[in-house]
Amino acid sequence: MSNVITASHLTLAYNNGKTEIIKDATFSIKQGEFVFITGPSGSGKSTLLKALYGQLKPSEGDLVVGGLDLTNVRQGRLQELRTHLGIIFQDYKLVNEWTVAKNAILPLMIAGYTIDVQETQAQRLLKHVKLSEHADKYPLELSGGEQQRVGVARALSKNPAVILADEPTGNLDDYSSNVIWDLMENACEQLDTTVLVVTHKIPSVFSLPYRHFIIESKGVYEVH
Amino acid sequence: MKFIKNHLMFILPLMAILLGIEFYLVFDRTTDSYEEGLKERYSMLVVSKEPIEFSTFKSLENHVSSVKEIERENIVAKVAKGIDDSASDEIIMALPYFYEVRLDSYLDLDNLEKIKANLKVNKNIKKVETFGSSHGSAYRLFKFIKFTLKLFLFFISIVSLFLIIKQMEIWKYAHKERMQVMEIFGAPLMLRSGILFKIAFLDAFIATFLTSLVFLYVKLVWAGVSGIDIIVKNQEKIFKMSDIGILLFSALFIVIIAVYFVVFSAKGVEE
Repeated sequence: MSNVITASHLTLAYNNGKTEIIKDATFSIKQGEFVFITGPSGSGKSTLLKALYGQLKPSEGDLVVGGLDLTNVRQGRLQELRTHLGIIFQDYKLVNEWTVAKNAILPLMIAGYTIDVQETQAQRLLKHVKLSEHADKYPLELSGGEQQRVGVARALSKNPAVILADEPTGNLDDYSSNVIWDLMENACEQLDTTVLVVTHKIPSVFSLPYRHFIIESKGVYEVH
Repeated sequence: MKFIKNHLMFILPLMAILLGIEFYLVFDRTTDSYEEGLKERYSMLVVSKEPIEFSTFKSLENHVSSVKEIERENIVAKVAKGIDDSASDEIIMALPYFYEVRLDSYLDLDNLEKIKANLKVNKNIKKVETFGSSHGSAYRLFKFIKFTLKLFLFFISIVSLFLIIKQMEIWKYAHKERMQVMEIFGAPLMLRSGILFKIAFLDAFIATFLTSLVFLYVKLVWAGVSGIDIIVKNQEKIFKMSDIGILLFSALFIVIIAVYFVVFSAKGVEE
């Protein structure tokens, strides 16, 4: 299997390189792998995720995602890469003025799919995350767990090669968290999607084989 | 209410610019004939001992476009009423020849002085009266008013443009969340800024419509009863249907500039 993410001597920093968060990290992730990244608060987990979807440029080293070198990438290529990623946030990042259905199909809208395709896909996705009856509601009318399921539906809408999830269950109760883990496991297992999850805690019940990286003292170490 | 207020904050400055543009167009059209009149009414007076042909005037000064002899009989008739014919003939014989000389364009005082000197090269020409100072001051006043108006409209436009950009920044902030999410999922700049373009285009159409209404009212209702001679005479020039196109084009141009300025001034909307 080919690598979908490769980091080589990667350094991530803020303030024009003055504040280093991750230093000299080297790792690679293959297609279809499920990866957990854990570490203490402020260790740089979310920073690494930001770098993976191109919001933060590496200060040093190389970072290649989906064959695209993010060290020196043009905005147009970066936009294209992002259309192949499914990103899930702890705070959901839904558009509150849009309905649940419209939020779920945002990547399809960006990709320019026809209205018919968008509507069909919206029904399929919301059925998949068990939110069909909420299609015409607005995000703020839903519970946190339901909002995050919309976020997952949005991330899955274009069958992305890679799902990047930043504390996807951080604000959810156990029941809602388990639903989200199930959805991501299914994506990884059935669609061969690479799933990379930043989290404080690996779920106690997890059926798929996975890899586990810890970020500590600016380094990225594989422990499982 | 907030929705209306937000749109008015954009439409009103845009209307200020459009009213300025239309006012300038109207002013330009209605004063064109006045300006032409100022030029056409202008003539020089040439006094000569002997009759002079037009070709002679032309050879002396190329700017001469026409020459009209002022009948000496008329002058005598006006100044010497009641005298007998023989006395009148003697006066006429003693009088020089008077010519009203028109030029092909309006010239400033310096050029008028040059023309005067050129004409005086002919020994028969005793006097050339240019009326330069009185004509020049009227023309300069007219030009000054026009310049002041342009300057005023320019500054109004600049201030209005800043207000438009300010309002656009408020919109951008209001739609920041949506634009941010779209950017993360790879939406190109034009797509995620689409909402700004939509609102701006809608307001551009509204502002054009309202400005056209104002000037249509001025043309069809107010101009007729204004009692201002220059406006009554040029009523049909106050607002032309083609002006709607000019206003719409200007409004769209302004909003596109404003949207691009706001979108590109802050690189990206991500946190």
